Amino acid sequence: MATKAFNAFEMAQTQFDHTADQLSLDQATRDLLRFPLREYTISIPVRMDNGSFHVFRGFRVQHNDARGPGKGGIRFHPMETLDTVRALSMWMTWKCGVVDIPLGGSKGGVICDPHNLSMREQEQICRGWIRQIAGEVGPLQDVPAPDVMTNAQHMLWMLDEYETITRKKYPGMITGKPVGMGGSLGRTEATGFGVIFTVREALREMNIKPANTTASVQGFGNVAQYAIRLYNQLGGKVVAVAYWDQKDQIARTVRKSEGVNLDELLGITDRFGGIEKDKATGLGYEILDGEAWIEQEVDILIPAAMENQITAENVGRISKKVKLIAEGANGPTTPEADKVIAERGIFVLPDLLANAGGVTCSYFEQVQCNMNYFWEKDEVLGKLDVKMTSAYLGVSELARKRKLYMRDAAYVISVSRVAQACHDRGWV
Amino acid sequence: MKENSDILAKLLPFDRRKIDECIPITRMGSGEIGGKAHGLLSIQDFLKTVADECDFEEISVCIPRMIVLTTEIFDLFMERNALYEIAFSDSTDTRIADAFNKGTFPNEYIGDIMALAESMHTPIAVRSSSRLEDALYRPFAGVYGTKMVPNNQFSSTERFHCLIDAIKFVFASTYFREAKAYVKNTEETIQQEKMAVILQEVVGNRYGERFYPELSGVARSHNFYAMNWVRPKDGVIDLALGLGKTVVDGEATWSYCPNMPHISPPFNTVSDMLKHTQLNFWAVNMGKPPEYDPINEAEYLVHPDLTIAEQDGTLRYTASTYNHQSGRITPGISEKGPRILNFAPILQYEQIPINELMKRLLSKCEAFTGNPVEIEFAVALDPEEGIPARVGFLQIRPIVVDDTEIAIEGDIEGSPNVLLASDSALGNGIIDTIEHIIYVKPDKFEWKHTWQIASELEKLNERVLRERRNSILIGFGRWGTTDEWRGIPVHVGQISTARVIVEATLPGMTVDPSQGSHFFHNITSFRVLYFSVPHSDPLRPINWDWLEQQPIVQETEFARLVKSTAPLTTTVDGRTRQGVIRYG
Repeated sequence: MATKAFNAFEMAQTQFDHTADQLSLDQATRDLLRFPLREYTISIPVRMDNGSFHVFRGFRVQHNDARGPGKGGIRFHPMETLDTVRALSMWMTWKCGVVDIPLGGSKGGVICDPHNLSMREQEQICRGWIRQIAGEVGPLQDVPAPDVMTNAQHMLWMLDEYETITRKKYPGMITGKPVGMGGSLGRTEATGFGVIFTVREALREMNIKPANTTASVQGFGNVAQYAIRLYNQLGGKVVAVAYWDQKDQIARTVRKSEGVNLDELLGITDRFGGIEKDKATGLGYEILDGEAWIEQEVDILIPAAMENQITAENVGRISKKVKLIAEGANGPTTPEADKVIAERGIFVLPDLLANAGGVTCSYFEQVQCNMNYFWEKDEVLGKLDVKMTSAYLGVSELARKRKLYMRDAAYVISVSRVAQACHDRGWV
Repeated sequence: MKENSDILAKLLPFDRRKIDECIPITRMGSGEIGGKAHGLLSIQDFLKTVADECDFEEISVCIPRMIVLTTEIFDLFMERNALYEIAFSDSTDTRIADAFNKGTFPNEYIGDIMALAESMHTPIAVRSSSRLEDALYRPFAGVYGTKMVPNNQFSSTERFHCLIDAIKFVFASTYFREAKAYVKNTEETIQQEKMAVILQEVVGNRYGERFYPELSGVARSHNFYAMNWVRPKDGVIDLALGLGKTVVDGEATWSYCPNMPHISPPFNTVSDMLKHTQLNFWAVNMGKPPEYDPINEAEYLVHPDLTIAEQDGTLRYTASTYNHQSGRITPGISEKGPRILNFAPILQYEQIPINELMKRLLSKCEAFTGNPVEIEFAVALDPEEGIPARVGFLQIRPIVVDDTEIAIEGDIEGSPNVLLASDSALGNGIIDTIEHIIYVKPDKFEWKHTWQIASELEKLNERVLRERRNSILIGFGRWGTTDEWRGIPVHVGQISTARVIVEATLPGMTVDPSQGSHFFHNITSFRVLYFSVPHSDPLRPINWDWLEQQPIVQETEFARLVKSTAPLTTTVDGRTRQGVIRYG
């Protein structure tokens, strides 16, 4: 995958500036929203399994909470930077705004590589992160959630530590918990399904039947897996999937022109979404390089791995056949690449809209936790579908009426909602 | 009727963005739509033409707005929740319904159901539309579940839950005991059955905590029970106040010939009429939510008596009043006195020309389909003036009529070896292979035991089923009614081996025969021969002595299974309506 030096926060600010211009925002509002409200940088000392100590660096950034408690995941990643977390917290603000849920934007992270950590060491990092930041997060302040390389188990450790510190039960303090331990049914599927809910609506507006389309997907983690699942259920065919080979530390693409078999691939996939190359070959898949996913002759591209993946360097490799790009990942398209995509007339489902299913379901989880009454899966997914569809229609209608690019329309809706909340509170 | 592909091609997919456009019929999913939906869809365009031709200015006729959940959704629900094992098992209906209720609805369509719940606020009928119904061109009325939901809760989430639970209930009803037994009677298997579901607007008006149509009914262009001067082809209409469940379940209705709407059914006395016309009606409960019971078909229904209807003002066009001093029955409710639901203001005074409209609809639909038809309908009257009225065309079904000429040989009255005979037999044909007879013991029969009798009959039926034989069934009152004081409340599955059914009465009984209930209609579609043998006027009374001399195979408290040494011969001449069962 792309490795070019890239500053996500600068990209987020550039996108915001563009929207602020479109909305003619006043300078004070720009100054407020261009930067996070609060940033915490913490150190987490952990005794490792070999008896040594290692101090991990962690972050929590609260971009804006004018519309409600902050909401955002915690990432464990060896390349984590404060700027990345800043950018992601800002995107969370816009994401909550575009789907119109009463939450603000936050993000957290720890510089670490879980592949090289035991479960005990990961638990110590989780508990240490909470010990450092317990006073600044909580159900009424800022609600963390799983993100890159964190999962329900990590959330449960964090919740446990938080409740130990506060001596109270706060299941709504964190989301993405296991079902039965304060988690919501449907959460696992939410982000991936959300991507495809918006794809479905976009195709409907384009008068294209999902069953007549093909797609190429970057990533094979939770988001990509459930996106592929629902897309297949709607009749679509995924012909290529890019994944990260942890062993060889390289990205690869598996391809099968008659369509990949999701369950078959899941049978040869590790917990981080890495596919066993040899077994895939044995099952009749071609193994291509990691960038091959972007040049497939398909109707839909779904980048659902990391930020900064469709760049000025590789955007030209996108096939002429591609009609739709659905951004399952956060910030997968650089502004330079975005311009090219817009010029080519490819319909884009921007990240803050397309992958908002996760945060929307997290919101549902928090609501359920706060009332300690849990919904059936039908209800969760039904509400998610309605919320996502409604958000899509709002963005699409604005784009059509004002002749805006879809990303710009999503930002306009979201930023204006957040700015209005800041004005209403008398902050600016 | 039109070919399937033509019909399906014009069925638009449901689009939540167009909910407000009120498209009359849409579908979710890409599978089959089942018999009920197919029937309505095939007649949709024709109905528009007919409604225009009929030219009743103040009465509109239409198919109430509906959304068909195709069998694709049923398949997805079954597969993803791994429900086939319990579905095909011998589990009780309750267990099956419970397992289905716990299933997760296919996520591709859950958002559409949620959107629907968010946008609709009036009662919805969740109805079955089975694949076999379509494939066999055969009525499955009342075999599968139908659930009405009030859909008036403030919270869209609650409306959504009610709707989803109701859909799952209808899915589950595909595998209820009655349904399995019914399908067993066909040449198909339950494994081939699939269920589409219709979500249909309920036609009616709201009166306080109740929502119901002022009139509902079933009109048939062929009358299986034509008596006296009425010919079968004159047809018959059963009318009821409130929801059509009254008619479907075989409860007391007002049954009349559309060519002679002023002639009452044959009640012996006014007292009989007061007792045996409709006394309660079904309505959707719009009031206080009932106790949560998703596997109860009548969860959201109420069954009040006529005093409530009078308070609602819905007797104005439907009832007459009995004056006990003069002994007269006066149409309307201007006088004080007991009310009788005989629909006289409509049928006799023609204040609202519903009968004329139904006559024309029957005739035109029969011509259109090329077969005798049955139409289920509901009518919402203007609560104040009666008109304008809206007729909801709910269902159209074929009626199976056998035209083979059968002649009964010899003189019945003087003939020996006659078990019983009737001049109001139904069906047409000869069956000469049956040796087993299941009968209710006349000396033990009491109305209060009819539920137990139904259960005992099921056991005897199972015995015959184990031997892979058919039976002759003899009992008292209306078969298949849900009113235990009018007959034996069996469902089709409990008497699945019966190829000849006898509906008898005992001294002191004034129950009229099944009168073309859905139960009866289903029975006759399997070419079951039917005999009505009233104790008062039989062609030949039942030879109980002969029956008691036959070897007993199995006996219960109220019923007996006997096996004659030689097969009996049952003959019914459908033209003369004479029938006879001979032994020896």
